[in-house]
Amino acid sequence: MRAQAAVPLGRGRFTELALLIWVATIAITGFVAVLATETASFRPTAVVVPLVFLALMLSLHVFLVGIRFRGDQILLPIAAGLTAIGLVLVQRLASDLLLQQLSWSIIAAGAFAATILVPRDLTALARYKWTWALLGVLLLVAPLLPVIGREINGARIWIKVGPGSIEPWEAVKILLVIFFAAYLEEYREVLSHAQRRIGPFPVPPVPYLVPIVAMWVIAMLVMVFEKDMGATVLFFGIFLAMLFLATGEAFYAIIGLVLLVLGGIVAYQLFGHVQARVDTWLRPFDEDLRFGTGYQLIQGLYALANGGLIGVGLGNGMPDRIPIVWSDFVFDAFAEEAGLAGAIALLALYLVFLYRGMLIALRAPTMFLQLLAAGLSFIVALQTLVIVGGNLRLIPLTGITLPFVAYGGSSLVTNWMLVGILMRVSQISDRMRGGGPS
Amino acid sequence: MEITFAILLWGVRILFLVLLYLFLIRVFSSLQRSLATENDIAARPSGLAHLVVQRTVRGAFRVGDRLPLRAVNGLGRDAGNDIVINDEAASARHALVEFADGEWWVEDAGSTNGTVVNGEVVRSRERLQYGDELAIGRVALRLEQ
Repeated sequence: MRAQAAVPLGRGRFTELALLIWVATIAITGFVAVLATETASFRPTAVVVPLVFLALMLSLHVFLVGIRFRGDQILLPIAAGLTAIGLVLVQRLASDLLLQQLSWSIIAAGAFAATILVPRDLTALARYKWTWALLGVLLLVAPLLPVIGREINGARIWIKVGPGSIEPWEAVKILLVIFFAAYLEEYREVLSHAQRRIGPFPVPPVPYLVPIVAMWVIAMLVMVFEKDMGATVLFFGIFLAMLFLATGEAFYAIIGLVLLVLGGIVAYQLFGHVQARVDTWLRPFDEDLRFGTGYQLIQGLYALANGGLIGVGLGNGMPDRIPIVWSDFVFDAFAEEAGLAGAIALLALYLVFLYRGMLIALRAPTMFLQLLAAGLSFIVALQTLVIVGGNLRLIPLTGITLPFVAYGGSSLVTNWMLVGILMRVSQISDRMRGGGPS
Repeated sequence: MEITFAILLWGVRILFLVLLYLFLIRVFSSLQRSLATENDIAARPSGLAHLVVQRTVRGAFRVGDRLPLRAVNGLGRDAGNDIVINDEAASARHALVEFADGEWWVEDAGSTNGTVVNGEVVRSRERLQYGDELAIGRVALRLEQ
């Protein structure tokens, strides 16, 4: 009886299709609202782009049905919904970048499909963990190299590729999560069942502490040389979260946070760029900052205030007053035009994404897959937290992108790959549980 | 005419918010439904497969016990194993039984007395068929669906 009830769900992907139809209505309404307000700057691309995007999402759905993919049906619609909101905002805030963002979403969809198809055995990824670590570190230091590295808006985190530039950090995130998951799966026991204890604190054998310290050193180097505090927090945060998940020792997380704060304080004393960020955060309204580094943040706050409860309406606000609004301050722009109501809905979508990701992690059959799924969903959550916190002036502003929504190619592509990996993990658990093909 | 257009525009803006929330509600309810289905599947009595105890020693299992298997199972004397074998002849971490690529596999985890399948010592990683008998220490287990 129960077994029979489960079968119809396994056949099609109707949940996904139904949710994608909702995404389509949201995207179309959003574009109509923006275009109707700005009739002066109307261009035919604005009509074509949402349609192409929706066709793209539909084809991803058909692709998944075609290969008889079983597994999660909720992550794809959430990612599609967020990307659609992103396209609406790009049209609103920087309409000349719209075609670029669309091409990036096409590439992202391709990367997603490749992630679903290519690694035949996801667990095999664990075998090449040192390769991933090496590749990750290489990509991380690549922007520092003289010829290919680039400094944009004060952060040296880009590398030149052809005419454009990409942010290698985005790819590093995924590589590092794979590495951490494999590493922690192997050494979890040693780290969590330490022989010696000093008071309540476990003291694992020194060799096993080396990676933790190494991670910290690398994170600090990124902060100092690449001038990117966001990447530092994200990088170290993911590592600590996964370490805590794997070992269950709060001590590691606490000591890690203490190290991070200490590093931050030292960096604040020594380096001008860190100092500038923190000062801007603490007193953006000061005489000397108001029209300088604080200007962007202040305009963001005004946008939030202007938005109120239900916002001034899509297309009706003045978010263009915020410099570089399309990449750094999309959240404030959205909150101005869709209000607190819209902003909360947006955050709730990220929350559901995290919830779903953690459920997939809980149900995964092996430690590696569990840590992989948890780490990947945590990336999205932490990234959202850091940039939204920055936009709301709760923490110093950093140059991290709002996942799926903010304008930016590398970010979009890697986030879609991340969704692909999460869906693969859920598929493996489904098969193991006997809910799959029978 | 101008006024009606403005009202229409506001209608669209509000509609956007409403749709956003309806989407959110739909996502929530889908999540709820898929959770319920998954729980149903998990609650089904049969695991992936079972090891049925054929031969045992005092203090360990009883003959005929059905031990449910997960995707990856550690077998041995240590309490951290998925299947704890309370026999001095078994090593702390004795063997590993796992489901991969649609088949069952057994691997010796460096045990002192070795792992035996159908009377033959397991050299590396060997395939297990349903009905095969796995001997660890003095305990014998048969793989059944």
